[in-house]
Amino acid sequence: MKKVVIADDSIAVARQLEKIITGSGEFEVVAQARNGLEAIKMYQVHHPDIICMDMNMPGMDGITALRTLVALDKQVKVVMVTSLGGVGDKFTEAIRLGAKGVLSKPFEAEDLLKILRGL
Amino acid sequence: MAVKFFGQYLLERGAVTTDLLLKAIALQDSINLKLGETALAIKMITPSDVKRIHDAQRTEDLMFGDMAVKLGILTEGQLGEILDHQQRTHLRIGEALVRVGAFDHDQLNLHLEGFRADQAKYATTRTLIPAGIAHPEIWEISADLTAKMFVRMVGLQCHLGDCTLVERVPGGALIAGIDLNGDVSARYLLGVSDELRAKIACSILMESDVSDEPEEVLDDTVLEYVNIVCGNVAAKAAPAGTVVDIEPPFCLRPGEEGIPVPADCYGLHFQLVMATGESASLTLFVKR
Repeated sequence: MKKVVIADDSIAVARQLEKIITGSGEFEVVAQARNGLEAIKMYQVHHPDIICMDMNMPGMDGITALRTLVALDKQVKVVMVTSLGGVGDKFTEAIRLGAKGVLSKPFEAEDLLKILRGL
Repeated sequence: MAVKFFGQYLLERGAVTTDLLLKAIALQDSINLKLGETALAIKMITPSDVKRIHDAQRTEDLMFGDMAVKLGILTEGQLGEILDHQQRTHLRIGEALVRVGAFDHDQLNLHLEGFRADQAKYATTRTLIPAGIAHPEIWEISADLTAKMFVRMVGLQCHLGDCTLVERVPGGALIAGIDLNGDVSARYLLGVSDELRAKIACSILMESDVSDEPEEVLDDTVLEYVNIVCGNVAAKAAPAGTVVDIEPPFCLRPGEEGIPVPADCYGLHFQLVMATGESASLTLFVKR
């Protein structure tokens, strides 16, 4: 079963994501982070297959964390789950930096699972 | 389900690969010059003018074109000519994808039709914003998307009332706020009753009953709601060239006296009434 780390400062969103991801029976959520810095730490500790990360977080934001994660490991699979996904510049920046997907909020559970299955 | 830009829509449907999309965006970047670059390219200004403008921008927060006019480097008419030139030569992402060989014009038109149909649910319903307020289209979009997301996310039919100017935000309810920066300067404040908060929480937490949830989690669901609304406002504003940056959301619980609108702001107020009887109120503090 593929391991997933969730990085989102919102408790509510982290719960929503965990419910969708674990509920599929195909993935396991191994850790949760509240900002970009924690996401990097969780990545180094748990070596997940996928990181689902918000862009807009206090402290280190998702884009900065993505840049660091890709510098640490070019093969890292990060999916940005964000309300800013529809902003062309933000979307392009994330894809250019190496995000494997950008999912705009609000989304359907199946949209998220489709991206995760494709990785 | 969200407001999207065309390239994202195509990628999600597998109509283009990431590599081709990035190639098309790089082509756009090479052709779609910034205002100063365009002015230089068509020889309306010189490199030393650009330096003067940039130097002046360090001490005064003005856009490049406005500063050029202020310094007497360009007239309003010349600025208009440059903007016209920029618009005429602007390469859109669809055309850029054709040029990099992602598809032909017939396929582009089919994809555009599909995209318009997908995004039709987010077409803005017109709301009259009082005259004299900067960026009225952004406040119109903000109010409209606040109402539409109640339908899309919470499953509640929502009626958006008219815009009124107020001096105080109504109190006695949870207020979730977000500061909007970039080309605009405003504070978005959504007030919701506890009943409405519970419905938002049911939707976001994907639970049928949230009565045992901690207050912190319930409030957090409303913060996420406003985060999604404002993110989609930014997405809708972007194609018209208006940059809306959103800060992390915060929540307030003022007493019955509410919150006064700061003296340097307009207070735009909208009442939102759900078909099930709950109501919400949106107030936007927009810098004068």
